[in-house]
Amino acid sequence: MPLRDLPRASGFRLGLFFLALVLAAYLILFGFIYWRTAGYLHGEVDVWLKREMAARIASGEAALRQAVEDHLRLDPAGRRPFVLFDAEGHWLAGNPASLPAPLRRLDRPFNFTLPRDNAPEPFRGIVHRLASGDIFLVAQDMRDIHEFRDLLLGAMVSGAALVLVIGLGGAGAVGAGAVSRIDAVTRAIERIVTGDLSERLPGGGTGGDLARLILVVNRMLDQIERLMREVKGVTEDIAHDLRTPLTRLLAGLERTRRRATTADAYAITVDEAIAETKGILATFSALLRIAEVEGGARRAGFTRLDLNTVAADVAEFYEPVAEGKGISLTLERGGAPAEIAGDPSLLFEAISNLVDNAIKFTPPGGRVAMRTFADGGRLGVEVSDDGPGIAKTEREAVLRRYYRAEKSRHTQGSGLGLSLVAAVARLHGLELEIDDAMPGCRVSLRGDGGRLHPAVQQVGMSVGM
Amino acid sequence: MSRVLVIEDDLGTAAEIASALGDAGLQADCAHTGRDGLLKAVAGAYDAVVLDRMLPGDLDGLGVLSTLRTIGIETPVLILSALSGVDERVRGLRAGGDDYLTKPFEFVELIARIEVLARRKMVAQPATVLQVGDLRIDLLTREVQRAGRPIELLPREYRLLEYMMRHPGHVLTRTMLFEEVWGYRYDPQTNVIDVHVGRLRHKLEEGGLPSLIHTVRGSGYVLRAAA
Repeated sequence: MPLRDLPRASGFRLGLFFLALVLAAYLILFGFIYWRTAGYLHGEVDVWLKREMAARIASGEAALRQAVEDHLRLDPAGRRPFVLFDAEGHWLAGNPASLPAPLRRLDRPFNFTLPRDNAPEPFRGIVHRLASGDIFLVAQDMRDIHEFRDLLLGAMVSGAALVLVIGLGGAGAVGAGAVSRIDAVTRAIERIVTGDLSERLPGGGTGGDLARLILVVNRMLDQIERLMREVKGVTEDIAHDLRTPLTRLLAGLERTRRRATTADAYAITVDEAIAETKGILATFSALLRIAEVEGGARRAGFTRLDLNTVAADVAEFYEPVAEGKGISLTLERGGAPAEIAGDPSLLFEAISNLVDNAIKFTPPGGRVAMRTFADGGRLGVEVSDDGPGIAKTEREAVLRRYYRAEKSRHTQGSGLGLSLVAAVARLHGLELEIDDAMPGCRVSLRGDGGRLHPAVQQVGMSVGM
Repeated sequence: MSRVLVIEDDLGTAAEIASALGDAGLQADCAHTGRDGLLKAVAGAYDAVVLDRMLPGDLDGLGVLSTLRTIGIETPVLILSALSGVDERVRGLRAGGDDYLTKPFEFVELIARIEVLARRKMVAQPATVLQVGDLRIDLLTREVQRAGRPIELLPREYRLLEYMMRHPGHVLTRTMLFEEVWGYRYDPQTNVIDVHVGRLRHKLEEGGLPSLIHTVRGSGYVLRAAA
């Protein structure tokens, strides 16, 4: 991991943020403790100074002078000096000391220094002017208190330094971990961008936000890869199915340019070219339609309709064709209305596709039976015939675009019919099923219809037909 | 002669549409922007307008259409669009369009639809009886007679005939017949319509009477009085 990326890592930044918070809390807490401790120690000194001063004054001047002499013997080092000065501030008795000059305040504690062992030492004292005009000083050596205070401060500073070091190290470790995972993910994404769609983001670990995100992105990549494969397959199919008529078209036109001499010959070629182009256009339109239906955009035009009505219209539409081929086309209606939220034109197209296929593949004299049903929440329509049927191995394949069973290669059609039916069925929450009618083939659209899409029931927009 | 305004930004397509309309005996003017098209549509007395849904600039097809309708110009408009979604279609018709055709389309389809639209302006008064040659239908009693002899038709055959009788002499494509008579909207791509028309034709010509419904190769059908 490049170290210069570390400051950009969100884990590192988050670590720094928390470090700053912890440090701030630490400083506030210990500052408060320091402040209260120092205040308490000074307060104790002041209480003692005032009490001692009050006691000496109350005992009278003679006793005070005696106490100064006695104290000198008890405390020769002058840890708590009692000193008497004359009115001008010259030393009279007690521990050796000089009056801090200028003397600013009487009867209130103050800080000053006295020279000891060649270095000034801190003292806190209180002075009182006696009735005789002499000045009496009681003081306390503050060295111990200051030492304690310094010790406290030192402990706090080293504690803060420790927090800082541990915090920075932790943030760095977390940030570095995140950066290296992000780096791995970035490399994987770059490989995907450059075209390797089989690449997946490195998982790593079971929990965590990043792991969850990676899981979702990987699922999305699976979907994209599947779609890309499908698109590629479809593109190849389109290329294949359009290449043949385009080649025929071009060949016909070139042959005419080479050979044709009469206006009639040209006219024939033009007619052929138009027919060929129309076929290409039809294939192209069918593809666009499937794309449109699969895109799901048409759900906006859904309305409530009865499958019975649509099926009856299809039956009526195809009746003359069936009759012309000597096939009996029957419709058996289920008792209950098969209500569904859907697009009437798409459903008509899908059902008529099934009927068209059935009539196409049923030999003269055969029968095609349509049936609608609606019971227990399941509804649908089925078309069965007694034609050659579809082999079990080919049933999945016929749903793919452009697939046409080998024995039907010679019949007309773009080969897109069943793909369109499947797309329409999916759009309506129905399933397209193919099974054996023994003999023949039974194709059905069944499901619980609009119940899968409660949203469309509110749309209820009627389509202008 | 009917006059048609073509508002289409692609010069090649516009020229092809104009020449096809000209061959069909319609006089066509072209406009290549929404603004120009709107000005011409307001100024000229056109019988129909072919309007591209997507036009460059600040005024697109639907903008032109809703402006026309707002200022009270009711010239029939056929919308051409590369957008085929059903809600696109509904939006176009709601904005005041009379017909909607999705690209790519066949020119015979466009011409047939324009001819019907352009003529619609002329036949405004409601009729109760339609007559073409010796064929006569009563719209109230739904009775059909040819040369004084009654003809029995199934309901769907009657609707097919009625639609053709409302547009005599005009080419009606299979898609137009399917949309109008069966009420579903897509291009059926089958010869089923031909079978229905064949049955109707058979009933009308019973007894060796001359043909009224004629097949137009590569396009559709036309109902015309026997010469």
